[in-house]
Amino acid sequence: MSESLAVGRAPAAARGPARAAGGTAALDPRRKLQLALGVIWVLDGILQYQPSMFTTSFPGMLAESARGNPAVVATPITWSANLIDHHVAVLNAVFATVQLALGLGIAWRPTVRLALAASVAWSLAVWWLGEGFGGILAGTASPVNGAPGPVVLYAVLAVLLWPADRDPSAPFVAGRAVGRRVARATWLVLWGSLAAFALLPASRAPGAISDTLSDGAVGAPAWLAWIDTHAASALNDRGLPASIVLAVLLTAVAAAVYLPPPVVRAALVLALVLAAALWLAQGMGELFTGMATDPESGPLLALLALAFWPAAPVRPAAQAGEA
Amino acid sequence: MGGPAWLTGIFAAAMLAVAVYCTGRLIAARRWRRPTELDTDGAHVVMGLAMAGTLVSGLRTLPATMWEAVFAAGAAWFGWRMLQARRGAQPTPWRSSHPLPHLVECAAMVFMFLILPASAAARGISMTATESRFSFLTLPLALFLFGYAVWLGDRVTLHAPVLALAAGGGSSTPHPARRHLAPRCAAICKITMGITMGYTLILML
Repeated sequence: MSESLAVGRAPAAARGPARAAGGTAALDPRRKLQLALGVIWVLDGILQYQPSMFTTSFPGMLAESARGNPAVVATPITWSANLIDHHVAVLNAVFATVQLALGLGIAWRPTVRLALAASVAWSLAVWWLGEGFGGILAGTASPVNGAPGPVVLYAVLAVLLWPADRDPSAPFVAGRAVGRRVARATWLVLWGSLAAFALLPASRAPGAISDTLSDGAVGAPAWLAWIDTHAASALNDRGLPASIVLAVLLTAVAAAVYLPPPVVRAALVLALVLAAALWLAQGMGELFTGMATDPESGPLLALLALAFWPAAPVRPAAQAGEA
Repeated sequence: MGGPAWLTGIFAAAMLAVAVYCTGRLIAARRWRRPTELDTDGAHVVMGLAMAGTLVSGLRTLPATMWEAVFAAGAAWFGWRMLQARRGAQPTPWRSSHPLPHLVECAAMVFMFLILPASAAARGISMTATESRFSFLTLPLALFLFGYAVWLGDRVTLHAPVLALAAGGGSSTPHPARRHLAPRCAAICKITMGITMGYTLILML
């Protein structure tokens, strides 16, 4: 397979040289999603360069993710947080630069595979040492607070957007690299687990959702604080019914991927709406506080939904023209 | 600015390097009659100087109001170029054929200078847009600039003539024999500018 096919470059001749050279028309949907993932990695890298990340607040934040986890998980988290605490300036600069490099590496076609592979390894390491597996083992995971941990979604996206065509006739981008069965199973497990997390005792407690919303309002600009404060007020002491509604919606999104395309489209629109709502509930990843290391799970869930959007499969003629 | 001094110093040095390089491009293009985006290179010269001053107070050259006027004029120019392109005007290799990103860059510069309090600017302390009623613009501007940088990163691996078309030439050129002046270096300058400007905006969140 040629590199141009692997990264998803559309046939230039068929589109005209000017468009192929300069326009987004020259990019196929998978390449566009890869670039969107690259943008989020660049954002992550720049967020990691924020002044507060060069202080002991950063290792302190990492150490907090050990809380409630079993010792086998918590001990390495505490060890790495201590290590970072002793060399915070150097290590944080390295972390930021790595994430920036991952984003630019995904953008640069010769390194797209290397960058995606490295992003999987990086994401899994950070999922453990930086996010404590999103609180799954601690019983505190909730879709409202970013479970299963935003960083693991980078790894899932990197695999689903891998530049290979195991199933080129897959009706959605995510199925091309791993096959439609594996892609659909991944979707089902991810969104199904979000539904399950929504029903955990810690998530369905009366004040759980409203507390998370209130936290999201702290340090946020007035318009976002207004949204989160009013939503928190409306859901105050209504944690159980809100969790049940959220779980039902998440289950519907999870199962819909096996249904006919019109239903899938409707479910993906719902997934995008849920992703946006969760992002607002998360205070847009607390980007405005100066302490955010990533934009939280909302944008990544939205990107994932777009990767499952039903689309025309890649035509064999187009592949032949590119190879 | 609020970042560690060594980090903002690196970004400021990168901005000065972009300004110097783009000045060199303008001179080389005139001397060798090789096409380059005169408006983009010119904008990056002044943006590099202004950004360096924003990042490191010791490198400040002009007062904020003057920079606002300069970049408002730049935004007007690129806006006019956009209108021309929409009306189907013949593209030229000497001007940007993709004025939108540069319009956004100029708008971001005006935005930064407008919300940067004069007292904070004078003392080089951290600034924030959170209290500003235009705070909702900060994140979209930063994301647009990161998106532009990533898009250029994708384009930069295309072979040079195609990149020249993508970067500034369009499909018809008055001097087909003359190759575009170092299109990959121009793209790298734009990426550096986009990332640094995005960093500055993120510091203002």
